[in-house]
Amino acid sequence: MSTDTIDDRYGPLLTLGERRSEVVDSVYLQTLKELESSELLETLLEEALYQERLRLRRMRPNLFTWPRKRRDQRLWSQIQKGLLRSKLDVSRSELLKKILAHYTQEIAGSFESKVYDFVIQFLPYAFNAFLNAPGIRLGKNLDSKIKLLGPMDRLKKLSKQGTILMVPTHLSNIDSIVVGYSIYLAGLPPFSYGAGLNLFSNPVLSFFMSRLGAYTVDRAKQNSIYKRVLKNYSCLTLQKGIHSVFFPGGGRCRSGAIESRLKLGLLGTAIDAQIQLLSQNKRVFIVPMTMSYPFVLEARSLIDDYLNESGRYRYLPVDSSVLPAVKTLRFLWRLLKEDTYLTVRIGEPMDVFGNLVDEQGQSLGPNGTWIQPREWLTSFGELQPSSDRDRVYTQELGKKIVSRFHRENTVIPSFVVAFSYFEELRKQYPAVDLFHFLRLSVEQRTLPYDRFRQSCARVYDRLKDLESQHYLYLSDELKYLDLDDWIRLGTERCGAVHSSRVIRLEDETVSTDDLTLLYYYRNRLSGYGLSLYADPEIDLRKPGRTDEKGFLV
Amino acid sequence: MAFRFTPIQKLIFENPGERMKKDFWSDQSVLVLGGGAWGTVLAQLVSTHVRKVTIWMRDEDLVRSVNATRTNEDYASGLTLEKNIKATHELDPAFQEKPLVVIWALPSKIIRQKARELSPHFSGRELIFHATKGIELESLKTTSEILLEELPCRRIGVISGPNLADEIKDGKPAATVIASDFLEVIEAGIELFSSPYFRVYGSKDVVGVEWAGALKNILAIASGALDGLQMGWNARAFLYTRGIAEMSRFAEIFGGKRETFMGLSGFGDVIATCSSTCSRNYQVGKLLGEGKSLETILESTGITAEGVRTTRAVAAYARRQGLHMPITFAVDSLLDGKLSAAQALQALLQSPSSSIWE
Repeated sequence: MSTDTIDDRYGPLLTLGERRSEVVDSVYLQTLKELESSELLETLLEEALYQERLRLRRMRPNLFTWPRKRRDQRLWSQIQKGLLRSKLDVSRSELLKKILAHYTQEIAGSFESKVYDFVIQFLPYAFNAFLNAPGIRLGKNLDSKIKLLGPMDRLKKLSKQGTILMVPTHLSNIDSIVVGYSIYLAGLPPFSYGAGLNLFSNPVLSFFMSRLGAYTVDRAKQNSIYKRVLKNYSCLTLQKGIHSVFFPGGGRCRSGAIESRLKLGLLGTAIDAQIQLLSQNKRVFIVPMTMSYPFVLEARSLIDDYLNESGRYRYLPVDSSVLPAVKTLRFLWRLLKEDTYLTVRIGEPMDVFGNLVDEQGQSLGPNGTWIQPREWLTSFGELQPSSDRDRVYTQELGKKIVSRFHRENTVIPSFVVAFSYFEELRKQYPAVDLFHFLRLSVEQRTLPYDRFRQSCARVYDRLKDLESQHYLYLSDELKYLDLDDWIRLGTERCGAVHSSRVIRLEDETVSTDDLTLLYYYRNRLSGYGLSLYADPEIDLRKPGRTDEKGFLV
Repeated sequence: MAFRFTPIQKLIFENPGERMKKDFWSDQSVLVLGGGAWGTVLAQLVSTHVRKVTIWMRDEDLVRSVNATRTNEDYASGLTLEKNIKATHELDPAFQEKPLVVIWALPSKIIRQKARELSPHFSGRELIFHATKGIELESLKTTSEILLEELPCRRIGVISGPNLADEIKDGKPAATVIASDFLEVIEAGIELFSSPYFRVYGSKDVVGVEWAGALKNILAIASGALDGLQMGWNARAFLYTRGIAEMSRFAEIFGGKRETFMGLSGFGDVIATCSSTCSRNYQVGKLLGEGKSLETILESTGITAEGVRTTRAVAAYARRQGLHMPITFAVDSLLDGKLSAAQALQALLQSPSSSIWE
């Protein structure tokens, strides 16, 4: 890194740090221009007031967020007073300006190179110190805990030709750190990223994040004015060439499966930015990123959420009362102690329509043709945004990202053992639905080891077949180790962070302490048409389906 | 289909200035691929709204005759073509005009192969309207799905409805549906194809409209068979109504919407196709109803009926998936010669219902 120039090292994000107020002003003015002259301004303000009052009523502030709540309350009571008076007395655009000033300041992030340098140097150092503390001496470092795969050189080239919008799958809260560090490992400059406002409640985290290019996203704010400001901010940063990370699934994936439905709102800003950038002959590239973790810290609460929502009264959760801090420590300990790592794959870059691009950033069309974004974005002879057309493009992009997520997924032994065991067990009880299945007794969920082994071999054969058709990737362990060896590795690592064993091999049998967690880890291989009632004809094309018994196919 | 935006969404989504400019089309050129009856009639409809229309057809002799006589005697006799319509058999000059609209009116059997061949000629800016009813049998993919896979274009629409080319050619009134994901394609289609005798509606249900166009051929065979058996109007109404229910159930699996089947491209097309005695599918059905076998019919008449292939593919898929499609299964058995028309009808009337409700 030492030979890189300042610009190479920090990339375009540096401009955000230097010209934050300029960015904030542009977003403010742009949004003002769009909304101020609208006939519906009054309705927009009323809707925002209504939504915000609801939100504030529901908000449970803590010590750090309490001042923010007070500030918000003051603003919205002013807006309410204003709206109660006539338009002649109180100008509606003045009210709008107040709201916009508030939102733009809240959303906009900044970047300070010194903070970035500090974090990048401190993070591995802290990890190394922890790992090599007297008495442990494991001699490992952070780099060896993240296995980064994918076309990194190509991406480095593309990062100089246009703006990159990285879209990762989202499993766990540690993803933000993993993504940030993976970007650094790949030799790319730092990216701007959206982070939930709740993360900014912690003053220490807030200090670092707001100086590392993070902008805030508050999912509790549902009103149109807020969404507009957020979109304009995202669009403007992309236009300024600032590479960004955006988790398109919205939040962490509850079921453990790869995302099959995406939030398209912010994704759409990529097309707006591309239209603007065409005049400078620059491009926006969408780059998927997939995570394969043998264990996920929050798996239990995530799958509980998922089952509660999908099953309601049919799902009976089991109480687990482990302190979050204990869980985090256990996670770090497992990750560091064991010979394991998190696999991250940077996917094939695409254009804003979801077409793959080559090394020069040209979009590939069918039958050896090239696609010119200018042609796709020209309507009735003019290059211009068109809300309906761009919405369809964005929906299509969403589908392509989902498909790429599945194709760029690196299958690790833990997924295979969890899937093979779960599906083999299902064969015993083919008529039982998901929620009753999860309540099988310990005896009922025990299988002879041989049967489990055969099931693993069968699933493995089908996965190999899918890999040869480029539907997924197999990890090195699966490719190069013997069946029994990767089964052992997979069962040891699968969910190793939980207090209960997800897969237990004992006395020639295989069993599980927690069938719900097994389901969570098993789901990472759903969407490939491999499960009991799957129809490969349909399910390879349309992931995210559940079968008649309620299992993710 | 009308958009149901709330006022706020309207504000957020609709940019002013994105509507097309008046008289935009009068300066544009259109390319029609395929010089069959429907292709020629569509070229004629479009020609009044644009500067120039080029019809690409394979037959060099026909091209010469069309350009010399201003009529397409082989496929649309009696129709005098507008002056701004030219025919060509070469592709390069056809695309040289940089047509903004391409009308795809080639036979359904050769779609993929032709799309691959023509792919390099497209720039991606074109709006494509395809008028090909039918599906790819091996994959059960619709025409627009195939075009999307093979062409560097994204903005594709389908034109489908009760449109017997002969009647439209003669200036008899008719209506059609243009379905596309893109509003601009629908708007362009309404602008380009409308005439005082031809009314155009829009739909966003591309899959539903395309499947309706393909599946109705199965009903046309069944309808012919009923006539061959000399059944009455009640039987026919029974067939159409339950047939529509069966078709819409099937299309729903692929993402089609049921209400589409109540419209022009669904019920409308069924009524026109199944009542028209000149339809090839109907004729095959009628002869089957009269007791002839499929082989004899195909040999003696030399007609190729799209519905025969469609029935086989759809029935095979429905059996694999365990779908309830009694009419399709009955037509399939009739085509196979497993049942006579009378037996097939008997089987249909006595088949167990999936539900007592209509």
